[in-house]
Amino acid sequence: MSYNFTILSPLDVPLFTHEFGTSRSGGDGIARFTSTERAQNPFILHSALDIVEEVQWGPSSTSGSAPMYLKHIDKYQNNFISCWITGGNVRFLLLTRPRDEALGLTQGGGQRGSLAGGRAGLGGGSGLYNPTSPATEEAVKNFFVDVYENWVKTIMNPFFAVGNGEVVKSPVFRARVAAAAKKYL
Amino acid sequence: MSGAPNQTPGLRYPSNKKTIYDRNLNRSKNAELSRAAFAYLFVEMISYAQQRVRGIADLEKRLNTQGYPLGLRLLDLLLTRTANPLSSIRPTRILPLLQFIAQTLWRHLFARPADALERSESDSSQYMLFDNEPLVNQYISLPREMSQLNCAAFVAGIIEGVCDGAGFATEGVSAHSVAEQEGGGGEKEKSAKGAELWPGKTVFLIKFKQEVLEREEILGRG
Repeated sequence: MSYNFTILSPLDVPLFTHEFGTSRSGGDGIARFTSTERAQNPFILHSALDIVEEVQWGPSSTSGSAPMYLKHIDKYQNNFISCWITGGNVRFLLLTRPRDEALGLTQGGGQRGSLAGGRAGLGGGSGLYNPTSPATEEAVKNFFVDVYENWVKTIMNPFFAVGNGEVVKSPVFRARVAAAAKKYL
Repeated sequence: MSGAPNQTPGLRYPSNKKTIYDRNLNRSKNAELSRAAFAYLFVEMISYAQQRVRGIADLEKRLNTQGYPLGLRLLDLLLTRTANPLSSIRPTRILPLLQFIAQTLWRHLFARPADALERSESDSSQYMLFDNEPLVNQYISLPREMSQLNCAAFVAGIIEGVCDGAGFATEGVSAHSVAEQEGGGGEKEKSAKGAELWPGKTVFLIKFKQEVLEREEILGRG
């Protein structure tokens, strides 16, 4: 299972991107995107931003506050997108691409019939990947909470121009995101 | 936009190998700042701005700009410190946002909530936040030719930062001294009485943009 995590400013400027793979059940934590998929990811993420803007204000009968975790908001082919929106309107988007790891071992990069059938049937790897299951949502939420804490620490830096679209360059931040990914995803 | 980290041969760590990410966010939750230190710094900020501008409006604008990034940061920080961090919520309507400012933000900055929050009768996009004795003005004395200046423009900048960060674009947040008898109609009598008791009483006028009001209406109807 491969992930692409992006942080976008309220003006849709990407501030940080990180790719990783799952570390669960023997995964090695390395993303397995083909080069076409990797090129497509930014488009998929940006197109999900429209949905974020629609959903971020909460259900219309809200009492005046909406949760920060927007859960699973979009799906494109085999990619699932979840979102967390911070108090300052900064978006954390996580693109999940479930993939059959076993297939990668048997036929090197080949497209097997079952994989094609798997895509149509929303299956992939060991059983169906259900993005709205409580376990998945919980894991993704914990990941987002961790990254959010590190994000708040980043913006507390008086030399970091919040709201001006400044990119996060700190290798420490990247290491922290990777550690959170390893822990929860 | 690639995911590869930049090479930073110049990245240096302090001698105890701790970065800003090792600091606990709640570390300064109950910390207090020396008032004298703040007053000293604030006076320097005003004279710094004064040397570079001509006119009161520019000076207030400078103070506003200095407070703006504080608002952006405080919004996120105070939201993380609210009761239950795992059920994080953010304000999506005007009234909860203003209450957040008047209560949580004011308590964080001045150790007391703001005194009053009203919606202007004449202009529905304008909200007024009253503070009887703004802390920032305590050690500032205004010369007669500058009596229209209100240095709480700095706090107005903080409020503007919070509103903009939360997605409620404002046309501007300005600070006015109530003693000037501003405001129309029934508000005038109230402000007159207020001005006698609290000579430094300040009103923060928050004017939201049209799209914010439209969204508010749509959300209210739904």
